[in-house]
Amino acid sequence: MMKNYRANAAYFIKEAVTIFRFNLFSNILSLFSIALIFFIFAMMFSGWQISNHAAEALQGEAEINVYYNQNIGTQGIFQLSEKIKGINGIKKVRLVDEKEAYSRMEKILGEESSVLKIFDENPFNPYLEIKIDLEQTDLVLNGLKVLPGIEHVRNNKEVLDRVHSIAGTIRIFGSLVLFAVGLSTLVIVSHMLRQGIEHNREQINTLRLLGASEVFIGIPYLLEGLLLTMGGGILSGLASEWVVRKMTVQLASVLPFMPFPQAGVLCQQILFALSALSIFLGIAGSMLALSSAKPD
Amino acid sequence: MIEAKGVALRYPDQTLALKNIDLEIQPGELIFITGPSGSGKTSLLKLFLGMEYPTSGYLEVMGQLMNPTQAKAIRKLRRRIGPVFQEFKLFPGRTVFENVLLGHRFLHMPKTDLKENSMNALEKVGLAHKAFSLVENLSWGEHQRVAIARAVARKPLLILADEPTGNLDKENALKILNLLASFKDNKTSVIITTHATHLLDCEKYDKLIAIHHGVLQLERIG
Ligand SMILES: Nc1ncnc2c1ncn2[C@@H]1O[C@H](COP(=O)(O)OP(=O)(O)OP(=O)(O)O)[C@@H](O)[C@H]1O
Ligand SMILES: [Mg+2]
Repeated sequence: MMKNYRANAAYFIKEAVTIFRFNLFSNILSLFSIALIFFIFAMMFSGWQISNHAAEALQGEAEINVYYNQNIGTQGIFQLSEKIKGINGIKKVRLVDEKEAYSRMEKILGEESSVLKIFDENPFNPYLEIKIDLEQTDLVLNGLKVLPGIEHVRNNKEVLDRVHSIAGTIRIFGSLVLFAVGLSTLVIVSHMLRQGIEHNREQINTLRLLGASEVFIGIPYLLEGLLLTMGGGILSGLASEWVVRKMTVQLASVLPFMPFPQAGVLCQQILFALSALSIFLGIAGSMLALSSAKPD
Repeated sequence: MIEAKGVALRYPDQTLALKNIDLEIQPGELIFITGPSGSGKTSLLKLFLGMEYPTSGYLEVMGQLMNPTQAKAIRKLRRRIGPVFQEFKLFPGRTVFENVLLGHRFLHMPKTDLKENSMNALEKVGLAHKAFSLVENLSWGEHQRVAIARAVARKPLLILADEPTGNLDKENALKILNLLASFKDNKTSVIITTHATHLLDCEKYDKLIAIHHGVLQLERIG
């Protein structure tokens, strides 16, 4: 049985090409439509990736500054930071000394940093910079309250909460949009493959009357479906890569403060998503279409 | 080979195409079926090929019970039948040779045999010289012969030819009938429907069956 299909491999490929050529115009139209809808999908996908990346980066930046009593000494600082590390929801604790605090402020002020020169001494205090998990902001703050040696906590709780809810919204909304676009891609592509098979319905039924098995009849259409979806995948992949590379450069110059994923990484993710989509849709779409072309 | 007892066929629109058919066909018989247009000739062949199922009665083809629960087995049974359809049902966009080859390449046979069978069949119907022409470019009679070549290339045990002389002049009609008759041997039965009763030579056939309004009558035994 299997041997027979393998012996016919060349035929199946040739047949897929014949079927393609037989309805050349409509197949080329389908190819470009599939490429277009894949492209739209890829754009939605990259938008989703970019916003996810931004949300993650924003969350990663969520930090609290802890100012401690200057008299606790080096040992005290060490003990304090160990205690802080023990609180749930703390990702990282780092000491920012006076010098670093100064140079950070210099950076923030940029050209206006010359105002700092009016101070004779470094006006900044050292502090502990704590990266936290936004899900647990309240827990962390409560935990810090009971630790001795802390003078003052700068937390921007409102900003942190806002960031947290924005990130959540982006994630949910992005996933919903991506799901909707993915679903319509599936419906449209399998409908298109079905149209192609409808074109050849007569021939399919004749083969059935001659005793050919459904598998023998189906393989060329499966291959043709794959040809269409993978062709569409390649075209849209090329177009997306070009657009993404242009777009990330453009966006990065317009929104310099926004963290964008690397174009190369993003392209890789898109190509991976498109390949998976092409193969899945080529197979699932053709099977669906074939089973709906049963004899009348 | 074929056994029918009290077979009736009623189409979904309630047309009663065949009524109470009793028929027995032995291996190696040549059978002609005649009757006016709309009398039920094609419908009878459709039953033999499993394109329709009897709505009542009992039908068996080469030991295979013909009913909807047997669809899978009937698909396999078809591989031993060579059908020549009234409207040919050739594969468009392909050469004559590809048409004949595609008609049986799904049978489990070595590729060289498939090709040889195809070429032999084309030689028998006198179309070897057109093997690599597109079927679209053929005349009516040539279409007919491609359809026959496709049906016989698989070396079937039962040939079902529906109106193979339609639209042909007397000389060519006779050629086609003789050609089809030549595939009869002690294992292979040939069933042909035709209007052209005046061309039939009672020496050659085993049975002549007439159908009128779905009722079958045995006209003559050859
Ligand atoms: N699929 C169908 N649905 C309903 N009625 C049908 C169908 N096919 C055939 N009929 C009817 O059944 C009757 C027999 O048709 P059939 O095609 O068997 O005739 P026939 O003897 O082959 O005619 P012809 O010589 O013109 O080919 C006709 O009245 C026809 O209209
Ligand atoms: Mg007919």
